[in-house]
Amino acid sequence: MMAVLEHSLRALGFAGDWQAPRRRAWALFLIPALAVYTIFMAYPLLNSLRLSFYTGVGLRPTEFVGLQNYQQLLTNPLWKDRFFNALGNTFIFFGIHMAVQNTLGLLFATLLAQTTLFGRNLYRSVIFIPATMSVLLTAFLWRLILNPRWGMLKALFEEIGHPEWFHSWLGDEKWALVAVSLVSSWQWVGLPTMMFLAGLINIPDELTEAARVDGASAFQIWLRIKLPLLRPVIGIVAILTFIGNFNAFDVVYAMMGANGPPNYSTDILGTFFYRTAIAGEHPVARPDMGIGAAVATVTFVILMSGVVLWLLWSRGKGDEGAVL
Amino acid sequence: MKKLLVLILLAALVVAMAPATLSAQEEVNLVMGSWRVDDVAQMEALIAAFEEKYPHIRITFDPTNPPDYNATLQSQFETGTAPDLMYLRSFSVARQLYNQGFLADISDLPGLSEAFSDQALSVWRTEDGVQYGVPFIAVSHGVYYNVDLFNELGIEVPETWEELLAAAQTLKDNGYDGFANASGDPWTIAEIVFMNIAPTFIGGYEGRMAYLNGERCFNDEHAVAAFQAVADLAPYFPADQQALTYYDSQQIFLMGEAGMWLGGSWDIPFFESEEPDFEWSVFAVPAPEGQEEEYVTFHLDAGMGMNAATEHPEEARLFLEWMTTAEFAELFANLLPGFFPLNQQAPEIENEHAAAFIALNEGRGLDVRWAWEGLLDGSPDGYTLMQDNAIAVLNGTITPQEAADNLQAGLAQWFEPAQNCPAG
Repeated sequence: MMAVLEHSLRALGFAGDWQAPRRRAWALFLIPALAVYTIFMAYPLLNSLRLSFYTGVGLRPTEFVGLQNYQQLLTNPLWKDRFFNALGNTFIFFGIHMAVQNTLGLLFATLLAQTTLFGRNLYRSVIFIPATMSVLLTAFLWRLILNPRWGMLKALFEEIGHPEWFHSWLGDEKWALVAVSLVSSWQWVGLPTMMFLAGLINIPDELTEAARVDGASAFQIWLRIKLPLLRPVIGIVAILTFIGNFNAFDVVYAMMGANGPPNYSTDILGTFFYRTAIAGEHPVARPDMGIGAAVATVTFVILMSGVVLWLLWSRGKGDEGAVL
Repeated sequence: MKKLLVLILLAALVVAMAPATLSAQEEVNLVMGSWRVDDVAQMEALIAAFEEKYPHIRITFDPTNPPDYNATLQSQFETGTAPDLMYLRSFSVARQLYNQGFLADISDLPGLSEAFSDQALSVWRTEDGVQYGVPFIAVSHGVYYNVDLFNELGIEVPETWEELLAAAQTLKDNGYDGFANASGDPWTIAEIVFMNIAPTFIGGYEGRMAYLNGERCFNDEHAVAAFQAVADLAPYFPADQQALTYYDSQQIFLMGEAGMWLGGSWDIPFFESEEPDFEWSVFAVPAPEGQEEEYVTFHLDAGMGMNAATEHPEEARLFLEWMTTAEFAELFANLLPGFFPLNQQAPEIENEHAAAFIALNEGRGLDVRWAWEGLLDGSPDGYTLMQDNAIAVLNGTITPQEAADNLQAGLAQWFEPAQNCPAG
C-alpha cells in the first residue's frame, strides 16, 4: 500500500527527477479508464468480430467458416434482399431525422435563444418532455393517434370536415417508415434543441452586437455569424444522430414489431439484427449468431467509416475542441 | 457363506428402505420452464394438485417471454442452468434439443401409449422411436361469430365455404365487417387465417403428408385453392387492415363491429374476460360446396420434456407420469379453457366456449398447422413463405397462383421432396 502511494507521489513528481515519471503519471490516470474500456467495449467488439467467422447453433457457435457468413449476407438472395432493404431503410430513417429532427431542433433553439421570447422556459420544457418519455409509451401513443379505425387524428380530420386528409400511413408500405421516423423525430427533437441552444448561448454577445452596429439584419446575423460558429455543434449533432439511427431498434420494434411490417418496409438494421442474432425468425426462433455477428460487424464498419470521415472533415476545418 | 447371506439381506433391506426415508425427509425442488407467461396462476394451481399427491416435491413454474423462449432455453442448456422440466415446442425445435443431447429419453414412461394417440406421440418422438416429450397442449382453430348479430341479420351458421362468403357479404351490406382479422401483426395471417383454413383446401393430414413426401408440389391446385381462399376473404376484412394489430382485431369483434373472427381457442379466456354485450360462439371452417370432408386445425402446440442432466430424474418423471392420467387432463382442461390436453379420453370440459370448440373436432379431420412439420428446418422456412405470400394475396399484390409458385420455389431451395417439381 505504502509502496503504491510512494510510487504515485513520485510518479506525480513530488520526488526526484520529475520529467520522466511525469509521463508515467499520465499512464496511471489512464489505466482505470483503459481497463474498463477494454473489458466492456473492446473485448466484446473483438469477440463479436470473431463470432462472425463461426457458425453453429446456440450462444457459442463453434464451427469456423471464414468469410462464409459475410458471403451469405451479401450474396445469398435470402439474406441479401432483407439486409439491403434494412440498410436502405436505415439511410431513409437517418435522412428524415436529419431533415426534420435536427432542422426543427435548430429552429427551436434559435427561437429559444431570443431573450425577449415570452414563456421561454415553458416552451423549452414542452419541447424536451417527449425525450423523457419511454419509447414504448410514445410508440403506443402514436399508434393510437394514427390508428385507421379509431385513431384521434382520423376523428380530428372528420371533425373539421376533411376526412380525406387521413391516410392509413402505418399500413402503407410507402409511408410507414416515414411515419415511424417522424414519431422518432418528434420524441427526440428536444436533444438537438438543447445542444444547439447551448451552442447559441455560448456565442459572445460582442460579435452579434458588433454586427448589429454595422447594420446587419437579424437574419444576416443568424446566417453569417451564428450558423458558422455553430458548425461544430451541428457536426456533433449530425454524428450523434447518425450513430443513434444506425443503432436504432426500439421505436420500430415498439411501433411495428420485429418484422418491420407492412412487408418489411419499416425493417431497419436494428430490427434485422434482432431477428437474425437474438430472436430468430418466428416461430422457429432459432437465432443465427454467426450471421448476426456479421450484420453487427457490417453495421460497425458503416458507423466507423461515417465517424472517421467526419473526424477527417472536421479536423481539416480545425473544428476540434470548439464549443463542446 | 452364512455371513454373505446376512450381508446380502442387509444390503437388500437398506436399498428397500432408502427411498422411503429419503422421501420422508428430503424435499426436492424442481423448476419448470415455459413460454406461457399468461398462465402462471393456473399452472401453479395445477402444480399444487401434484404437490398434494407428492408432498416431498416442490415445483417452481418459471416462464420466459414467448419470443425469447427458444433462445433462452438453448443458452440455459449450454450453460447448465436449464430447468428440470420444460415445455417443448412441437416438431423440429424440440427435436433439435434432443439431438444435442439435452433432453432425456422417456420412451419407457408408463401410460404414454394408453393416454395418447400415435399421431400426438410422434410429434415429440425421433424417427428411431425415441420419445423425448409427453404430449401436453393443443390449441384449436375455427371461426368465432357474433350469435346475436347473426340472428338479427337472419344469417345461418354457414355450412359451405360459399355460404361463409355469403354471410360475410350480408354483414358487409349491413355496414359490418365480415371478419375482424387484419395483417398489422403478420403472424396472425399465417396462424389464424391461412393455416386455419388451409387443411380444408389441401385435405387435412393426408393432403399435408402428400406435400411432405413429395407426391404433391406446393404450387398444385390444392395449394392454389388455399391461397385463393385468402383472396376470397379479403373483401370482407376491415378497411385499412394493414395497419390494424391483433389487439385491434379482437376489439373490432368484441365491440360488435364485425360478425366473424378467424381465431384460435386460446382467445377464449380473453374474450370471456372482456364480457362483450352479445352472445358469441364458434363454428368450423366450412368446406367448399361438393366437398364432403371437413377439417379443423387442431394444433399440437406443446409437449413436456425432462432435462437429461436433471439432478432429480425420478421426481421429474413422477410429474411426467402424472401428466398421462385422466385426473391431470381434467384439471388442466378446466383450469385453462381453450388449451386442450391431448389425452385420448377427452375430459369433461365445463367452460361452454371451450366445450363448443372441442365439439368441432367430432366428425372432422384434425391436423396441425401446415408449416410446422418439416417445413421449418431450412431457409426460407415454410412459415415465413406462407405468411408473406398470404399477406400479399390478401393485399391483392400477387395472385394465388403466384403465391403458391413462390412457396414452391422457396421450399425447393432446400426441402428435398419439393425439388422434383417444376419451378413456379
